[in-house]
Amino acid sequence: MDLTAERLLGSASRLSRDPETEIDWDAPVGDGYGMSPEWSTLYGTPYWDELSEEQQRELTRHESASTATTGIWFEMILQQLILRDIYDKPARSPEFQWALTEIADECRHSIMFAKATTRLVDPAYRPRLLARELGRMFKTVATGETAYAAILVAEEVLDVMQRDWMRDNRVEPLVRTVNHIHVVEESRHMVFAREETRERLAGAGRGRRWVSALVIAIAADMIVSSMVGREVYVNAGLDVDRAVREARQNEHHRSLLRTSCANLMDFLGSVGLLTPAASRVYRRTGLL
Amino acid sequence: MTFVISGDCCSDASCVAVCPMNSIHPAPGEPGFGTGASLFVDPRTCIDCGACADICPVDAAKPADRSAPADVERNAAYFADREPLEATDLDTWEPVSYQVWGGGPRRVLVVGAGPAGMYATRELLLRTTAEITVVDRSEHLGGLVRFGVAPDHPQTKQIIDTFERLVRHPRVHWRPRTDAAALRSGGGRGSDGRGLPDGYDAVVHAIGARRSRRLGIAGEDTACTAENFVAWYNGRPDAPPPPALVGPGAVVVGNGNVALDIARLLLSDEEQLRRTDLVPDVRRTLAASGIKKVVLLGRRGPDQAAYTEPALRELLAVAGDRVELRYQARPTAWTSAGLTLDSGEVIAAGNLFTAIGFEGRPVDGLPFDAERGIVPNVRGAVVGRPGHYVAGWIKRGARGGIGVNKACAQETVMTLVSSSRGAASPGS
Ligand SMILES: Cc1cc2nc3c(=O)[nH]c(=O)nc-3n(C[C@H](O)[C@H](O)[C@H](O)COP(=O)(O)OP(=O)(O)OC[C@H]3O[C@@H](n4cnc5c(N)ncnc54)[C@H](O)[C@@H]3O)c2cc1C
Ligand code: SF4
Ligand code: SF4
Repeated sequence: MDLTAERLLGSASRLSRDPETEIDWDAPVGDGYGMSPEWSTLYGTPYWDELSEEQQRELTRHESASTATTGIWFEMILQQLILRDIYDKPARSPEFQWALTEIADECRHSIMFAKATTRLVDPAYRPRLLARELGRMFKTVATGETAYAAILVAEEVLDVMQRDWMRDNRVEPLVRTVNHIHVVEESRHMVFAREETRERLAGAGRGRRWVSALVIAIAADMIVSSMVGREVYVNAGLDVDRAVREARQNEHHRSLLRTSCANLMDFLGSVGLLTPAASRVYRRTGLL
Repeated sequence: MTFVISGDCCSDASCVAVCPMNSIHPAPGEPGFGTGASLFVDPRTCIDCGACADICPVDAAKPADRSAPADVERNAAYFADREPLEATDLDTWEPVSYQVWGGGPRRVLVVGAGPAGMYATRELLLRTTAEITVVDRSEHLGGLVRFGVAPDHPQTKQIIDTFERLVRHPRVHWRPRTDAAALRSGGGRGSDGRGLPDGYDAVVHAIGARRSRRLGIAGEDTACTAENFVAWYNGRPDAPPPPALVGPGAVVVGNGNVALDIARLLLSDEEQLRRTDLVPDVRRTLAASGIKKVVLLGRRGPDQAAYTEPALRELLAVAGDRVELRYQARPTAWTSAGLTLDSGEVIAAGNLFTAIGFEGRPVDGLPFDAERGIVPNVRGAVVGRPGHYVAGWIKRGARGGIGVNKACAQETVMTLVSSSRGAASPGS
């Protein structure tokens, strides 16, 4: 573990990015898409085709802001999980120092996301109450592999989307930059989360693995289903019931989600966390 | 420090998708992808995050301080006369492309559980909601990864673990020991008139190209083909036993990595063989062969040789001066005295191995291009047979490593999904 942590610290010193100085926060924001349109929850549905291009663009900006807010929510959970995990670890160890570096990264990311959403759309988003309360519980009790694998789930799903958006020149330049900053630093966090998950699971019995696998799957469900909620459609001026209904049946979106989770599922499978019960949850959520 | 990719890389490009700095090339779609053996890390832009190593299914990406100096060198050399791609200039990345959902097939049959079939299955799982039946005439999945890749390359074989997880997916029905012929209804003409087996909307034929090409010289029948020898040393259950191994000299005709695999195994000593996962019988036979020297024969010059540099390096490390590389040589006859070349020279040898490539076999009910040994297709769709698709070696010919079949299968599934969609879908 310390070896990995040491490498990651080295990597961070080689390239860390500071959104405060790297992004010109006073520059005017254009009217580009908030995300690649193909990533919209409505893309590919009849409703999407009825929208004007301007409405489509507006919708993606709200979806993007809402997704980023989910990112902030989860990054807060994550910071607490890590802080609790390393609470009594020796401060001189690379693992400890890396953990604090990661917390610092996440902290900067959350501020960056918060600012970017302000520039992108007027309304502020928040995950729904149930998710917030479950998150509150999770961050207080989760430990070991459950904590780290849940971190991994959240980051991986976001990561794949953001890689698409950052390369897409239809997307608003501010969003592209913000996403690339996140992708770079997140790649180190995911390496760390995988390593921790593997390490914590070594020697775990079948019972514990079964429970952990299920908890992680439920956390994944909560994260993914929190990304875009009803208010997004309200604020984008859409027929909410119809939007929710068509989004729920949107196989194109489910297919993108499955693709973005493919590496994650490979990993979970390789460490024995794809138990039948967990797989059922992932299938329902549309990740498997 | 930086990360580097070793010669064990099978080019499945998993690392390309996770590298946050766009440091790994050639990526699929870039010139050079699928022709060389491996990918490379640009040391000028790599930030050591380790994401590539984390994702690599065969442990080919490693930190430089844990890699062979020659690998570090190779990675750096690849970029020597290329401009570094500035990852923060996001327009230097490959642009995104999407495949839009449009109904997709309900049931798909995948024939062949080698890399092409398994990557196609994976892609179908991601891109469609279809139920997928995977059949293979073998009892095991993996195709040539299990029964081709040399047993002293256990890392390369690790990709089989990934394939095995795929057939456990609830939407996949895995039927080993099933020949495609058994599924064909009405002699290749199903009730739908398209020759599809009953109940399937599409078939992906990923049956590979197993048969060795022939030299076409007198006496060849007593030589050993790569097909048979490789199957034997990998313990394929139905592999014919090789002819008696007679020392001290042997000739391997061929200049690709398979020829090098054979030469390397023939010249490995007992100690080296013990470190492989050879079945005991094969190991004993190889150790007792008495073969001390191998001549490797190439038809053209060293510049045109098909082997990769890491493979050559590995052979030389094992064999030293017990292997002789001969180029511009054309064999004309094989007798118990040895191999006669067109120059009249006779190379004395007790065994001849032929490894000059593989070719596909015609598939019942599908057209066949005998010249290229493939089923003629357009981006994976079999010409003139709606509903039939090909992937892997039977689609492209017997070229390219394991991972190249991933991009190949992705292309096929993309074609399959878009043609099952019809013209009237949104967004396309
Ligand atoms: C000796 C050798 C060594 C190699 N070593 C390497 C290496 O080290 N690294 C690397 O990257 N690449 C290596 N390769 C290349 C790699 O193996 C191929 O790129 C890859 O296997 C091709 O995949 P495929 O799925 O098209 O065919 P295959 O791997 O041949 O798979 C075809 C599958 O179809 C099944 N099948 C065939 N006919 C039928 C039928 N009628 N019904 C049912 N099932 C059927 C077969 O049983 C088989 O499982 C090697 C190749 C060879 C020949
Ligand atoms: S095997 Fe795949 S993941 Fe590993 S280095 Fe090669 S291309 Fe990258
Ligand atoms: S270590 Fe990170 S930056 Fe370097 S090649 Fe691997 S993934 Fe890319």
